Amino acid sequence: MSETNSCAIVGGGLAGFVAYATLRHGGFSPAEIAVFGTDPDPTAQWRRRAGAIRQRRMRSESDGHCAPRSFPGLAVRAARRRRNPAPLVLSFLDRYHPTVEEFLAHTEELRARSGWDESFRPQRVTRIRAVPDGFELDGSSVFAHVFVATGHPGLNLPAELRGDDRVIHAYEPHHYAPEVEIVGAGMAAATEWLNALAAGSTVISVRRREPERRPLNLPRHFFTRRGLGSFHSSAPADRAEFLRRWSAPSYPPGRAWDEPVERARREGRFHVVSSPNGAGQIICATGFNRGYREDALLADCVEEHGLPTHRGWIVLAPDSTVPALTDPMRTLSLAGVAGQWAFPAADTLMGAKYAARGFLRRVLTCRSR
Amino acid sequence: MSFTLRGRLESRLAAGLVPLFAAAGLAAAITEWWPLALAAAMLGVGLVFDVAYDRWLEYQPGWLAPPLALLELGAVMGVVYGAGISAPLTVALAFFGGSWLLGQVLVHGVFPYTRLSYGEEGGELGRIGPALAAVVLATLGVLGGVALAMQPPTVRLAAGIHQGPLVLDHAQKLVGEPGAVVRGGILITADNVTVRNVTVVGGESGIEVDDAHNVTLERVRVSGAELDGIHVRRATVHIRDCLVHSPASEYAQGIDISFGFDLAPSDVEGCTVVGGREGIVTHFTMARVADNRVVGTSLRGLTLTEMSMAVVEGNHVEDSLGVGIYCGDYSECEIDDNRVRGVRADEASGDKTRMGFGIVAHHGAEATISGNEVSGVASRARSFLGARISAG
Repeated sequence: MSETNSCAIVGGGLAGFVAYATLRHGGFSPAEIAVFGTDPDPTAQWRRRAGAIRQRRMRSESDGHCAPRSFPGLAVRAARRRRNPAPLVLSFLDRYHPTVEEFLAHTEELRARSGWDESFRPQRVTRIRAVPDGFELDGSSVFAHVFVATGHPGLNLPAELRGDDRVIHAYEPHHYAPEVEIVGAGMAAATEWLNALAAGSTVISVRRREPERRPLNLPRHFFTRRGLGSFHSSAPADRAEFLRRWSAPSYPPGRAWDEPVERARREGRFHVVSSPNGAGQIICATGFNRGYREDALLADCVEEHGLPTHRGWIVLAPDSTVPALTDPMRTLSLAGVAGQWAFPAADTLMGAKYAARGFLRRVLTCRSR
Repeated sequence: MSFTLRGRLESRLAAGLVPLFAAAGLAAAITEWWPLALAAAMLGVGLVFDVAYDRWLEYQPGWLAPPLALLELGAVMGVVYGAGISAPLTVALAFFGGSWLLGQVLVHGVFPYTRLSYGEEGGELGRIGPALAAVVLATLGVLGGVALAMQPPTVRLAAGIHQGPLVLDHAQKLVGEPGAVVRGGILITADNVTVRNVTVVGGESGIEVDDAHNVTLERVRVSGAELDGIHVRRATVHIRDCLVHSPASEYAQGIDISFGFDLAPSDVEGCTVVGGREGIVTHFTMARVADNRVVGTSLRGLTLTEMSMAVVEGNHVEDSLGVGIYCGDYSECEIDDNRVRGVRADEASGDKTRMGFGIVAHHGAEATISGNEVSGVASRARSFLGARISAG
């Protein structure tokens, strides 16, 4: 079967799955889409990480799901299932955060009815080459439209802690020692403080700055055209500075976060220091490596095609496509953290949807269809 | 949601489409323009507020929608009253509430469901947005133009005394400047006449409406008439915020609306009637009599009789002789939330049905009553001659 004129999704995680669901919504059959990944379960990687930090609730809200439409969201689903309007009321008040179980169950249902498994190919793509009628993946298959969603390029450990036997990354399975140092000040770090305190540990929070408190990763208007308009029209240096500034660690405000920490502080079980001081266990909630160079596939693609970049970001069009490799006949889109040049919160579910919808629009108007 | 200005305006106009067409349908059905004027006021206020919201609200949480709706409602009602749009209050509130609810359903459910990127595009509707907006604005423009073209001419009555009787025999709006007085009465014989802000002194009847439809009397003051203050025969009238004072004749009524049972209902709202035999009386008429104040009548405060069908609510009747509110002669009356005080027994008449009763049903009439405050009377409510009073 010739695969020219069909779509490929490189990356079988959540962002890839969102793109798949969006393409299916847009009228593509499973036979027209190939998904390349290493695990047929699109939630596998995310589930492992969420499990490692014992995450119970999503930071995202009712519309933080993988379905192409934002409505009905998870609050509507929960209200219907529980026969209780409370999730809708909480959503109305911006206080609804679905449980991880609800999110995963919804994703599993979508997966079952979307035909994902028909399209999935267990293959790690290592090379993308532009050819006249599309993109050649690993020197064989050619696809007119390619959506790259390879996810975060590895876990980040501070250089000074690499090789230390006491160190483990928050996103790797772990227990809690009686005294634990937790490095970082974002959502994962805050979750780990509560986990370790609940396990009876004494927590030493290692951080160089006080965390910011935000309900979502970014102020809400940066999730819509209202905020994106000025972002897209800003100069590259300003845009890079914006991304750097808003990538500072943050976690949501609220008593559920503050009260256990305050209680532990009063009991002498929670301290803040600026550098590790010799505890038996050091948990690094320090996120992921950053920049396209950390992703071998993207680094190769940039080098091979001479794509413009700016301070670690690949320069993208506002719809998350790569301008130099996108034309009326073919499309190359980047999603996940690699798509931040188009959408600052690209590494969220909303970001995945943003890139997927942009991709769908391009593909639907493509002359090769 | 974080709207863009364009998103707000497009969403507002798209959500206004159904209410606008509903208003047009209602206007056609009742052959009045106020539903369209109300819809236009709602849309206009909404669009102006959208510009303000755009400036002040980077993000609009769901919980903010009800308080903002109340703010808009206040502004819309201000426009309605300020522009003299004659929309009944309850209908206006229901129309606003229904439109708002529909808008919420559309913005939070239908638009995001039907348009994938509705949220991330800040409420913009893509190519269809400007088209919908154009349809709404064009509809408003066309209907507004037709409405304006069909409006009766406005005649300004200058301050000072004008010798009557004035005869209004074609559609028009007679609007008095402050201090405009007509001596000798006004006779209305044409449909679609509005008389506003005019004082009438003397005349056989202060204002007489004869065989006319859709006549509106607003903020008129009537005094010194020989017979009735306002005398309506086989006509549909909307009387609001009037003052009728001391008809001179012992047979005169404050406001008398009669013999229009086969016509559209009339209403009397927010008026004050002082003196006369009956303050407000209907014969063989469908009417709503609401929120009026009637004081010092010599026969009854409010009378609904001769097979009238009437809603009587929120009125204040005080210092009547004999009967406060009377539902008689096979009429059907719904009498709710009125206040009746100080009804004196009419001993001189020797009529046992007039011995200081708050509410009376008489001669086969059926009255449903609820929530009335009756005090200073011999009896709160009585029925006579096969009439029936039941609690609502």
